[in-house]
Amino acid sequence: MSVTLWLLALVPVAALIRFVGIPDDTPHQTKPFLRQIFDGLCYTILRFLHLAFAVNKSFQSWVQMTLLQNEADVHDLLLSDRPALVEERMELEIFLLSLPQRPEHFAVVLPDGHTDDIVDDVEALCAWSGMAKIPRLTVYTRDGRLKDSADAIEARLRKSKIISRAYDNKPPSIILDLGTHHAKRHITSPGNHPLHVSLWSREDGFPALVELSRSLAKQVSTGTLSAKSIDETMVASLLKDPFGFAHPELLLLYDDLLCIPEFPPWQLQNTEVYQIGQGSVKSLGDAVVRALGSYAKIEKRWGK
Amino acid sequence: MSQQSEFIFALSTTVFLAYVVLVGTHSKHSAMPLQKHCRKLCSQASKIFRKFLVHILQQGPIPKHVAFIMDGNRRFARKSHQVTTSGHVAGFHKLANVLEWCNDLGIKHVSVFAFAINNFNRSEEEVSALMHLAKDKLKELADNSELVRYHGARIRIVGNKALLPSEVRQVMDYAEKTTQDNKGMTLNVCFPYSSTDEMTSAIRALIDDAESGKLQESKISEGALESRLQIPGPDLDILVRTSGQIRFSNFMLWQSSKMAYIQFIDVYWPEFSLFHMLSIMISWQCAYLGIEKKKQTVAECARPCMLSASVSDDETCCSEREAA
Repeated sequence: MSVTLWLLALVPVAALIRFVGIPDDTPHQTKPFLRQIFDGLCYTILRFLHLAFAVNKSFQSWVQMTLLQNEADVHDLLLSDRPALVEERMELEIFLLSLPQRPEHFAVVLPDGHTDDIVDDVEALCAWSGMAKIPRLTVYTRDGRLKDSADAIEARLRKSKIISRAYDNKPPSIILDLGTHHAKRHITSPGNHPLHVSLWSREDGFPALVELSRSLAKQVSTGTLSAKSIDETMVASLLKDPFGFAHPELLLLYDDLLCIPEFPPWQLQNTEVYQIGQGSVKSLGDAVVRALGSYAKIEKRWGK
Repeated sequence: MSQQSEFIFALSTTVFLAYVVLVGTHSKHSAMPLQKHCRKLCSQASKIFRKFLVHILQQGPIPKHVAFIMDGNRRFARKSHQVTTSGHVAGFHKLANVLEWCNDLGIKHVSVFAFAINNFNRSEEEVSALMHLAKDKLKELADNSELVRYHGARIRIVGNKALLPSEVRQVMDYAEKTTQDNKGMTLNVCFPYSSTDEMTSAIRALIDDAESGKLQESKISEGALESRLQIPGPDLDILVRTSGQIRFSNFMLWQSSKMAYIQFIDVYWPEFSLFHMLSIMISWQCAYLGIEKKKQTVAECARPCMLSASVSDDETCCSEREAA
């Protein structure tokens, strides 16, 4: 019995010592049988680790969602007259206005395939920007659905009650920008609180840089510009914000996949990125509040 | 204790003592104290354990290109009540460890953000200390490191070298030249670097090629621009930033924006451990299929505008494909 136990302990250890030093450059079919067994065991352990990681991630998301006190749905908060919601709204307003720093330019990346709610989401984000007194908002989807829905979005923003309530019943002057090849649209009459909104897609990033290169190449070939004068300052001035604001200071990545889906790269240089999966929050409003709370704590050092 | 466990305990102790005695009597350091033997044994055991963990991870996909923003050296030094320079030295040692782990894992390209162009805004004393450190450590890396000598790593210095003092530039040129024919891991040391400077240089290079006739104006495309970046490829798989800061700080913006998996880790760079590295790898492997699926959709939509002059078809193409 003890010999059996000893063998059971020794064999894996021996395999471990024997095989981990061998470089894995042999094709699979020529690997020795024991090596294949060992690799199979390692693969099983790896899959177990993946499972453990996925379970841990789901548990953390569940904990975050369960412990959350307020739902922060902007329609309920702004339109309802129930005392509990009115109180919640006031607390939220005090919280947002007391943040030691807020971004001037707030960008939100929505996931692809986000079709049905996209107009609602843009409206809600405009309302949140109003509550947090953020003058500049950019909403981005890689696939250009925002631009396709521009008419619907404009119609919704024009008569939005929640946006009006977010600005203390004084409808803001909203200027809608659809990117480089489109004219700006002015929604509602000029008021005290302008809100500049951009609806971006992939075409405002990499293709825009290519377009810029083409345009500069043409100017150089016609002699109106010297190639030597092309420097970072010139490129920066050509890629500046259409409304004169700084590039996005805070980017909310509202997607379960922790990747930037081709957001315009030049504009990301000094951006704080707040990642939150859709599965970790009850609503987009909740994600916005957390992102603003996180931004309030950051320290900008500008390389120093 | 049962009889079986007594037997196993006695056998293990015998094996251990036999090892110590044999190594003691046959080694030229026969007077080596027991602690050193133990340390050597522990070090070898941890090496074997590390190789075992790496072997497990290698059963799944391995990223081709990983980038690190090595942030938190100065705060680490302050936390440890040391001078700033010692934080940077600790950062370099950690870099050496991380490169070893990446090499073991089979990651072919590693990019590290060693010095940003706007780091020249720091005090003259600190900048000077960083330049001296870069000079010494790069030479050490190129001449004496196991990574270069045994594993054939290739060093590339990426950035605006014209901003550097001449003696630092000489060492950098030396490190690049002596390793240019190596076939192992490629290490891109970004020093001094900013992504906007990189993109501007790529635009300028594109225009120069168009002017000289090497490239027709109609062929100016995303692919042509990307190939002129200082770090053109392969596609960045994972970007890691330590110290808990959640920004890119003008590092590899073009590459990161192309679906790189972003990980912001709340630990100072000198404290970045193998555990953190392995967690990042497992996390990436779990997300791998989702990322690849998204990249395929992206590649299908981007192909027309990567190759041709027209950009207006892009969003229609993407919308139609997404709807399908």
